[in-house]
Amino acid sequence: MKIAIPHALLYYYYFPLWDTLFKELGFEVVDTGITNKDILDKGSKAAVSDICAPIKIFTGHVIEGLEKADYVFVPRFARIRKPEYFCPKFMGLPDIIEGTVEGSHGRVISPIINEKNNEDISSPKTYDILTDIFGFSHREIRLALKKAEEVFLRFKNLLHSGLSCDKALESYRTQRWEEDLKRVKKDGEVTIAVLGYVYDVYDSFISMDVIKKLETLNVNIKTFEMVPIDIAYENLKHYRKRLFWTFSNRVLGAGLFYLKDPKVDGIIHVTAFGCGPDAIVGRFLQYESDVAGKPFTTLRVDEHTGEGHMFTRIEAFVDMLKRKKWASFSEVI
Amino acid sequence: MKVSFPYMGSAIVYKKLFEFLEHEVIMPPKPTQRTMDLGVKYSPEFACIPLKMVMGTYLEAIEKGAKVLVTSGGHGPCRAGFYGDTHKNILKSLGYDDVELIIFDAPQDNWKAFWRNVQKIRNGVPWPKVISRMYTLYRFVQKLDELEKMVQKIRPYEINKGQTTQVWNEIQEKFDKIKTRKELYKIYEECKKMLLSIPTKEVDEKDKIRVGIVGEIYVVMESSINFGIEEILGNLGVEVERSLYLFEWINDNLVPWAFRPKRFKEIIKKGQRYIKILIGGHAVETVGHIIDFKERGFDGIVHLMPFACLPELVTQSLIPKISKEIDIPILSLPIDEQTGKANMLTRIEAFVDLLRNRKRGRTKEVFVNEFQQHADEERVVVV
Repeated sequence: MKIAIPHALLYYYYFPLWDTLFKELGFEVVDTGITNKDILDKGSKAAVSDICAPIKIFTGHVIEGLEKADYVFVPRFARIRKPEYFCPKFMGLPDIIEGTVEGSHGRVISPIINEKNNEDISSPKTYDILTDIFGFSHREIRLALKKAEEVFLRFKNLLHSGLSCDKALESYRTQRWEEDLKRVKKDGEVTIAVLGYVYDVYDSFISMDVIKKLETLNVNIKTFEMVPIDIAYENLKHYRKRLFWTFSNRVLGAGLFYLKDPKVDGIIHVTAFGCGPDAIVGRFLQYESDVAGKPFTTLRVDEHTGEGHMFTRIEAFVDMLKRKKWASFSEVI
Repeated sequence: MKVSFPYMGSAIVYKKLFEFLEHEVIMPPKPTQRTMDLGVKYSPEFACIPLKMVMGTYLEAIEKGAKVLVTSGGHGPCRAGFYGDTHKNILKSLGYDDVELIIFDAPQDNWKAFWRNVQKIRNGVPWPKVISRMYTLYRFVQKLDELEKMVQKIRPYEINKGQTTQVWNEIQEKFDKIKTRKELYKIYEECKKMLLSIPTKEVDEKDKIRVGIVGEIYVVMESSINFGIEEILGNLGVEVERSLYLFEWINDNLVPWAFRPKRFKEIIKKGQRYIKILIGGHAVETVGHIIDFKERGFDGIVHLMPFACLPELVTQSLIPKISKEIDIPILSLPIDEQTGKANMLTRIEAFVDLLRNRKRGRTKEVFVNEFQQHADEERVVVV
């Protein structure tokens, strides 16, 4: 049996877990591949016009997956940490797909991910739906999950040691694992924290490969996945009220962590057009950067963004950081 | 304390609340283009329109001298629950350090903070008085909503255009002066008579068109932001009913779950046919109300949402499917600072025409036949 995992949204974070889980259970896992124009067009056509680009892209990947496989995996993300949630669009994701993609009824596997405090989303209860549909025994699922969790922890470990998500995914696919850590570049002229959700930053179609471009400009990259969840939350302590969305909290917490880090020279916030939580996160990041006195810029991208103007903006920002750094050096000398 | 509050729907209710607690009330002006411009200028670009509008209202209230702003919080996952803190942050960066923003969160999240806020708002008025006055306010809201529902039923059939709206404005002014429960009941009866004395035309039951308005609470309740959609529809001869009235909202949200009206639970249950879990905002309720309106024999639905509203986007994605499955026309209108009135008016008029034709049974085939007949008759004349 073939099951497709759409190459969008939290794929970039949870793929090693789901991939291992389904392979252990004997599925043939179909990866819908890197986003291309065709997938985006399919998604834009099916989805409502006002919805954010990541959801449109996800819809496109689901359509692609339905063509290539028997089933498509569309988990419903409710929460992974109490008392927080996911963005309402994640919570209603299977409903959105049901409403917009024709022929999806009955072919979408959507477990409800509702964990009190478990980032690894590996509670066997969550995947009970696999028992109902395919008749796996609880024991089989538990064993597969155990294996999947081990892989995911190893993957997370790579992230925390400073590997960005796309490179860690590559390590998982090639099974090189820790060897890749040696290749992390640390000798760039400036260090920039690129903050944004995994599906914005690593989707080459949304972010226009911002990370690779920054690396060609000789920049060290920091991202939010490199900050362990506890440290990110530690930095949010002074707020009266936490945000409602776990990943937004992590982005904001990592942002505050990097603002305190003297090695980080500037911050780029990558966000998708029409992203609701980011309207709030961006505002707070901007305010905190002003207070900390570090340069901050927002890259807002959607399905129409042109590559040229993005590159110009990034270059200008990096040039500004480099000059600022040299100016402060010469003052010291 | 000079107290002010965000403007939403019948603002006299909030005004009464603070008057009953013996505050000096600064009535925020009804939102205008200026309010919108002020709000848009200082708010994050991608915040939804209610946040911007409320921001503008705050700034105008502060201009008028307000020192304390009172608002509600929430506990997600819709971003409305974080408005208070965003507003606070913006006010701080604009240099209004002397303005206090009191945010009421759900009491179960933080009892202490909730109690502190209550004590601040209570303003030293003794508890028995507070309870008695709050009961008066509860009835006040109920009576006002009943009158509004009457207005919505009378407006489409009035003979002198605009008379009902005029009477409704008078009613609001009268209600504004109410101090005691006795007065309330007396004025309510007077107002009812006023409404019933409006001359109306007789319309056959099968020619009546009823439209339900559903969607996000702010754009549904606040007429200055939805271009007075109830009035527009009323003037086109359509009876309207909103999914949200303040009185029902109080019953549905401020009363503990076990004591909530059965109706509310049924609506949620109906909504869960399409959206399986509660996803915040009013998404599930919206779907539930669409189904409920259909079951009650309404002819069409207007769905209002702020542009890029998170929960309502889920609803919007489901609307084509719902519309097909339960067979009811639905018009979905996203609203933001760029929305133009003319565009909206055209769409609403076209929608009402569609409903009317549908109701008269003039489906496509019938229409084509009629057209053919006319054409034949004309040809005869020409020959």
